[in-house]
Amino acid sequence: MTLSLDVRHLSVDGRTLVRDLRITVPPGSVHTLMGPSGCGKSTLLAAVCGIAAPAVRLEGSVTLDGRPIDHLPTPQRGVGILFQDDLLFAHMTVRENLLFALPAGPRPAREAAVAQALRDLELEAFGAADPATLSGGQRARVALMRALLARPRALLLDEPLARLDADLRQRLRIQLFTTLRQHGIPALLVTHDAQDVADAARLTRWVEVGA
Amino acid sequence: MTRLRLPHPETVAAALLAAIAGVPLLAVAWLALAAGADVAAWQRVLADPQWPQALALSLATGTASTVLSVALAAWLLSRLFATAHWQAAVRVLAPMLAVPHVAMAIGLVLLLAPSGWILRAFSPWATGLDAPPAWPTTQDPWGLGLVLALVAKEVPFLLWAAASQLQRGDAGARWARELQVAQSLGYTRAAAWWRVVWPQLAPRLAAPILAVAAYGLTVVDVALVIGPGSPPTAAVLAWQWLLDADEAFNAQGAAAAWMLALAGAALVGLAWRLRRRPARRARWSDGRRGAEAPTLSRCRKVASEVFARHAWPAGYLAVMAALAVASVAGNWPFPAFWPERWSLAGWRAAADHAGTIGFTLGLALAAAVAALAWAVMWLEAAPARWDTWMRPLAYLTLALPALLWVVGLHRLALAAGLDGSATGLWLAHTLAVLPYALIALSPSYLGFDARYRHLAETLGHRRAAFLLRVKWPLLRAGLASTLAVGFAVSVAQYLPTQFIGAGRHPTVTTEAVALAAGGQRALLAATAWVQWLLPVIVFALAAWWGRPRRFAARGGR
Repeated sequence: MTLSLDVRHLSVDGRTLVRDLRITVPPGSVHTLMGPSGCGKSTLLAAVCGIAAPAVRLEGSVTLDGRPIDHLPTPQRGVGILFQDDLLFAHMTVRENLLFALPAGPRPAREAAVAQALRDLELEAFGAADPATLSGGQRARVALMRALLARPRALLLDEPLARLDADLRQRLRIQLFTTLRQHGIPALLVTHDAQDVADAARLTRWVEVGA
Repeated sequence: MTRLRLPHPETVAAALLAAIAGVPLLAVAWLALAAGADVAAWQRVLADPQWPQALALSLATGTASTVLSVALAAWLLSRLFATAHWQAAVRVLAPMLAVPHVAMAIGLVLLLAPSGWILRAFSPWATGLDAPPAWPTTQDPWGLGLVLALVAKEVPFLLWAAASQLQRGDAGARWARELQVAQSLGYTRAAAWWRVVWPQLAPRLAAPILAVAAYGLTVVDVALVIGPGSPPTAAVLAWQWLLDADEAFNAQGAAAAWMLALAGAALVGLAWRLRRRPARRARWSDGRRGAEAPTLSRCRKVASEVFARHAWPAGYLAVMAALAVASVAGNWPFPAFWPERWSLAGWRAAADHAGTIGFTLGLALAAAVAALAWAVMWLEAAPARWDTWMRPLAYLTLALPALLWVVGLHRLALAAGLDGSATGLWLAHTLAVLPYALIALSPSYLGFDARYRHLAETLGHRRAAFLLRVKWPLLRAGLASTLAVGFAVSVAQYLPTQFIGAGRHPTVTTEAVALAAGGQRALLAATAWVQWLLPVIVFALAAWWGRPRRFAARGGR
């Protein structure tokens, strides 16, 4: 899938945030968006995903493989999002959080997929755990896995690594970019971290600094 | 020699506060328990020919009103939370909450009765009726009118309780984003709500839901106005026995109140067990995203959005309009839609009771201020562990049926020599307001960022300065709305006012219930309006006082 944005005008309550921005993100690539706080990076992601507040106006188009998606409701866009907070559902176990992302289907197949996901995360022992008992890094990995299990056609990353310490951020960044490349998922990454940009350039096929 | 360690002043204050509220609460509960110890009275209740049907009616109307109220409130939340209409929906809750149960019931009677406004609107052109039919549209034998009145009142209460959770900076904002995450994973908004937000919100609404169930099962004042008459509900029957001059009947009333409480507890226990079924939990992560068929669902979506946003405010407006028109109606023969003659006689008669209105106002203000002061001091001073065990005690007045509660309260008032006194009435109202004050204030008070206090301390400010200049100003909206809620709860009190006041201190609520049995329609409607106006004025003042501070535009002074 290729994610393309042609933003003529992005505004909140009539206040212009972004004007004339064109981005094309090929499969498996990460496009990083950097800029000062309040310049509209997160608002742009919310508009692409369809979760922006009603006051946000996006003039232009968002397409996946040339097909416009900006008129579709959020669930039909197939665009996943990861926030700075992991936002694991507190009333569900780790396993149930992952099951939540899987499409409906035969129970054994879903359970097997989640068991495999937990093995990939090296968190087999934590399936029945309360997400609050995991470390920050473990929660971030579960949140990423949850987003991937829903088989998104594109992924939006709103500073998902910002709260982690430098070592962990480095390891997860590499894991995240490598996974995106392996799955061929185009991603938009909002960041304030120059290392994110450097690694995105090194580990994915294409990068551009925008916004 | 070991030095005597004095307890921390905050611990002493918390212990005092616990005693101030805990001792009377425990005493009332104990005396209520003791009142039900007469085995002969239990036998007389069981032998009463009206009892089985009355109990069945109470259980049916209480269960139906609770289930419908919770279901409707949850559905309305699913349509409104985290949308552009959410703030507007929260704003209209205050005037709806201010409508006392009795005023709502009287308004519904004026709308739904065979000579009511709805039938007048369709007569004679659609119904062919020239005279009010003998239809049991109110005080119906099945208790449908009672269920309707309870649902109309309890849905805004549950929405308000939910809003106080959903408006919290921590939980509410997180749930709004979790809703977005679930939608980005392919779930429709409705499917995401029921799987992600509602399961986390519902446990926090346990106390308000329990209060709704206890109230619905044991309500007397609303049932007297719009409930079935022959037989009445079990609560009304027990109330009649408690009011009887014969002490044997009083014991029978206490036993009946106990029986009703136990039946209610059994129902709540059953609901609790059903809630914890594993199958329910499995549904959260079954992967079903919910479907939105393109065309039909679009119409349905618009219709449900219009209903969610406007049905409740419109219903309340209709009820208040019916009360307003009836209050100034002179001669009004059926089926005329408007009165033939307008008259202010009802309002003049209501104004003759200025003393009652003044007493209601003073009593409600005194009770609300006392309960708010207690709640603030408790939340400020009590350690979290103490708060955990104090809550069930404070919520006793909500969980125990009101009838049972007033039995214990009356015995305590008699023992303390406060029976029939204004002081006794004030204390009784304060105890009734206390749990509402805690429920209303806790989310904002406990959600307050504790780091502000540490920050103020590092800047050299003492506790008092921090409270007066930082914390309470920041929590002004929560404090003001808690005061308004307490005031409204006090105004609406019927059973404690009648029982503890011994009929010597009438309030607008006791007047309205008494008038409902008579034929003075204009006076009844005017009294119901006054009963609504008092809390609505206080809610408006609270909203004004608690409004966010407006800052000058950039560059202004």
